[in-house]
Amino acid sequence: MSSFSSSAVRRRVTARIGLYIGLTLGAVFAGFPVLWMLSSSFKANSNIFAYPPKLFDSSFSLAPYMAVLSNPVEIGYFVNSYIIALSVTAVTLLVALITGYVFSRYEFPLKRIINVVIIGVQAVPPITLLIPFFGIMVGLKLYNTYQGLIITYVVFTLPYAVIMMTAYFDSLPKELDEAAKVDGASSQSILWRILVPVSVPGMVSVGLYTFMISWNEYLFALTLTQTDDRRTVPVGIQLLMGQNNYLWNEVMAMSILGSIPVLVLFLIFQRYFIGGLAAGAVKS
Amino acid sequence: MSNAQGRSKRLAWKTVIAAVASAAMLLVAGCSGSSGSTSANTNQKVQLTFSQWWAPEMPAGALQNLIDQFQSQNANISVKLISAPFASLQTQTISEAASGTLPDVVGLDGAWVNPLYKQGALLNLTDAMKSANYDPKDLASQVGYNGSTYMIPVVNFVYPLFTNDAILAKAGITTPPTTWSEFTADAKKISQSQAGAKGWVVPLGTTNPNGVQNDILSWAWASGGSMLKDGKPALTNNPDVAGAVDLVKDLVQSNAVLAGANGLQETDKVENFINGRVGMMIDSLAHVSTITKGNPNLKFSVSAQPTKDGYSGKPGILTASWGIGVSAKSQHPAEAWKLVQFLMSQSANSKLSTLANGFPGNTASKPDFSGADPHFQQAFGIYQKSKPVNEFTGLPAANQLMTDFLNEFQKTAAGQEPTSTMLSNVQSQWQQQF
Amino acid sequence: MTTSLVKPGRDQRPASVPDRHHHRPIRQRLEPYLLISPTVLLILALMVVPIVIVIVYSLMDNVVTDPSPKFVGAANYLAILTKPAFWAAAGNTLIFTVGSVAAHMVIGVLFALMLNSKTMARVPRAIFRAIYILPWIFTASVVAVLWRLLLDPSGVINYLLTSVGVLHEAVPWLATEATALLAVTVINIWSGYPFFMISLLAGLQGVPSDLYEAAKMDGAGPFRRFVSVTLPGLKPILYSMALLDMLWTTQQFTLIWATTGGGPLGRTEMLSTFTYKLAFNSYEFSMASTSAVIVLAASLVVAIFYVRRQRKEAQR
Repeated sequence: MSSFSSSAVRRRVTARIGLYIGLTLGAVFAGFPVLWMLSSSFKANSNIFAYPPKLFDSSFSLAPYMAVLSNPVEIGYFVNSYIIALSVTAVTLLVALITGYVFSRYEFPLKRIINVVIIGVQAVPPITLLIPFFGIMVGLKLYNTYQGLIITYVVFTLPYAVIMMTAYFDSLPKELDEAAKVDGASSQSILWRILVPVSVPGMVSVGLYTFMISWNEYLFALTLTQTDDRRTVPVGIQLLMGQNNYLWNEVMAMSILGSIPVLVLFLIFQRYFIGGLAAGAVKS
Repeated sequence: MSNAQGRSKRLAWKTVIAAVASAAMLLVAGCSGSSGSTSANTNQKVQLTFSQWWAPEMPAGALQNLIDQFQSQNANISVKLISAPFASLQTQTISEAASGTLPDVVGLDGAWVNPLYKQGALLNLTDAMKSANYDPKDLASQVGYNGSTYMIPVVNFVYPLFTNDAILAKAGITTPPTTWSEFTADAKKISQSQAGAKGWVVPLGTTNPNGVQNDILSWAWASGGSMLKDGKPALTNNPDVAGAVDLVKDLVQSNAVLAGANGLQETDKVENFINGRVGMMIDSLAHVSTITKGNPNLKFSVSAQPTKDGYSGKPGILTASWGIGVSAKSQHPAEAWKLVQFLMSQSANSKLSTLANGFPGNTASKPDFSGADPHFQQAFGIYQKSKPVNEFTGLPAANQLMTDFLNEFQKTAAGQEPTSTMLSNVQSQWQQQF
Repeated sequence: MTTSLVKPGRDQRPASVPDRHHHRPIRQRLEPYLLISPTVLLILALMVVPIVIVIVYSLMDNVVTDPSPKFVGAANYLAILTKPAFWAAAGNTLIFTVGSVAAHMVIGVLFALMLNSKTMARVPRAIFRAIYILPWIFTASVVAVLWRLLLDPSGVINYLLTSVGVLHEAVPWLATEATALLAVTVINIWSGYPFFMISLLAGLQGVPSDLYEAAKMDGAGPFRRFVSVTLPGLKPILYSMALLDMLWTTQQFTLIWATTGGGPLGRTEMLSTFTYKLAFNSYEFSMASTSAVIVLAASLVVAIFYVRRQRKEAQR
């Protein structure tokens, strides 16, 4: 359908320019605060509040990063955060895939009620759940353990993950299942061999969501851990903001350091959005 | 099968295998993971947990050194230091108390002793002292209810008046103000004479409402006033409190304070002072090192908070403390008390308060001023001539009291109601807590 | 009609099943329950049980701080529902939520469309994707500290606006009555939109390209194609995202607490901060639980609405 007439070419160039303008404006909106965070991480603490504000000033130094990276306790926070976030993502995806499949492909009594409950439990303010939840965790001897936090975050992220996977499976026509059944496939192999490969964009987005929630969560990480060897990055950052001693530049440095691997992970997995994987496979 | 489908299929399988593998690994790994425990590990050694927010406020490793000293003096006790973020300390401590996981020895702030006491979460220290034959005569103060102590202030932080010498000089002021009228005049003069600086800064942000304690009511307390009568709120017909409210209101309304007062927090006070945007502030002495580190060229003075015109009695000085208590559910109350006793002993308390830039909770201790910033010694002189005061310590729901006061103050400062109405509103809100 | 949740290995019902189920073997009928049992068990044990405890708290007088609380029935509910502060908080929450969700959707769609554009090479696309997802990677307390810094009267945003001349004097955005709620909403929009962008990007992949081709052949311009092809294709995702975002935004606590604490003069007081203050400032855990249950009840309405809609969609 491409035409080489000059007006079409002009239209395409204008569209391209417009696109890049839009992209740049969006990038400023998204990235400027982060740029400021980066610039603050290199400044001396009191210079962060200097006026007029400068992006980079004479106190530029890598000292905050060195302070964070040379502190084994803080490295431990990073390690804990990654262990927990990756585990939660794995478990939640696994459970959500199966549950979503069941909700999408099966009819059974109580389905509707269970569905409402799963969605509805997200509506309770976490702050009020804190004390009863804490009591249960202590009772189950999961206080100050990896599993305690992992199970907590799995429970937090399951509702959305289940909803999402159900929706994705719903959008896949039942003819796919029928075709496989005719060939004698069991329900489990229909799920794993046919539906899952096609739902990869959905899985990636659910995986990202789950990872981010576990990565950024603060309140329950604080409450359910007590010692440094189980604490996560959000708690570690808060520890840098003391009563009398505030290490703003280290707070920013720690944030930036923590975000780099997450960005890398995202860049690796975002390829799976491209190419209309779902489009071709589903509708044809 | 197309390439894309094959690739995604492999990804899907990889994900599933990874999921199952990591789930299995975790269950195994986590089972052998450590968890903070307060019970004794062996028959010989007693393991105590001590949670506080103090370690990050002192030089690295300083608190641990003190603890090591304690452990060498008490071979059968080992102490695990747990640091807690100050901002969420209240939430964490109350939650731990509610589920019985409060550490053996716990650092406390005077504002939340009351609910912990009501929950029955704190050990009766008077009884502990009796069982240990400890004479509390050297303790500067004790916080308790019904004749028994539940919290002991370990280190005291005073709140003097900080003044930026250069900014004051530019406005033609040679010495820091000593009375309310002088203070008001100076603050206004500074704000009018300099473009980039204001006379005073008052943090009225709601996240941490202690601006009420530090910057509003401290004026009344410095002049011997009180917001209570017989332990119950007495805000109406109280000229000291009304005077304090009017003083602050006047400065806010005449723009003599830093802009955005309703959103400022305590840290903003210090940062703006360091950056020379504020001429005067009432702040914790502990921030002297923050200031000197942040701006070594800043010349500032420390003086007593100005008193009401004509007041001649002993001035009060706002004092906030690092308190310590013992969990009622601790399995080793006797050993826990030993740690408290150690931290309150003359030499340890002296060392601790010097490291923290505060004043000792042991009356026989003297902070070590050698090599320290001269402002500390000046402030100590002021401290010895004043009466330490903080009426919010030990009050029920102290944070809520402060929040109520703050909300009403914001209204009166915005011109929505007169001071008298404000105080009677706060009075009736406060009475719900008592 | 079976009304009990059949757990594996326990109840073996006889072969006489009701008419609407065809004669299927027991194992096959148990299969769905077996498969979803991990989810159900986890959510039951760790969500439903605490929620029930919270509901019980709301019916008692002053739990946690009182070692022996008494049952007071609906007294707490009456007390909360007659507090003007509760309704003020509810109003602010509504404005905050609707504003955030709407903006999330718009920005999410815009950015997803831009990132999905075919006219971009691989490398710039990856770079822009990475930049656009940045706000999501940072924890709420850092976002709060950062934005307090940016919006401070002596902060960079006021500096830029006054230098350029848009403002003639710095505005303390988070401390001024008129602008505080707006500022907090903008911060929330900034930190939350990447999630929608990602989900919509995934959704855009699901819109078949032949529909676009067909529309182009019919002479539809880009805007028309967006309205007639893209939007309908995204509708189910947009709808579910909007409902979920509403639920999640009402929980937003840390961001608001760390930036404004519910002030100034209560202008940014949300139900979440209101509940927090009841629990940890006044130590009235029963009242806080009551407030939470009211929020839960209101949200359940949304949840039921959502499930109904899903059902209708699935039956199409």
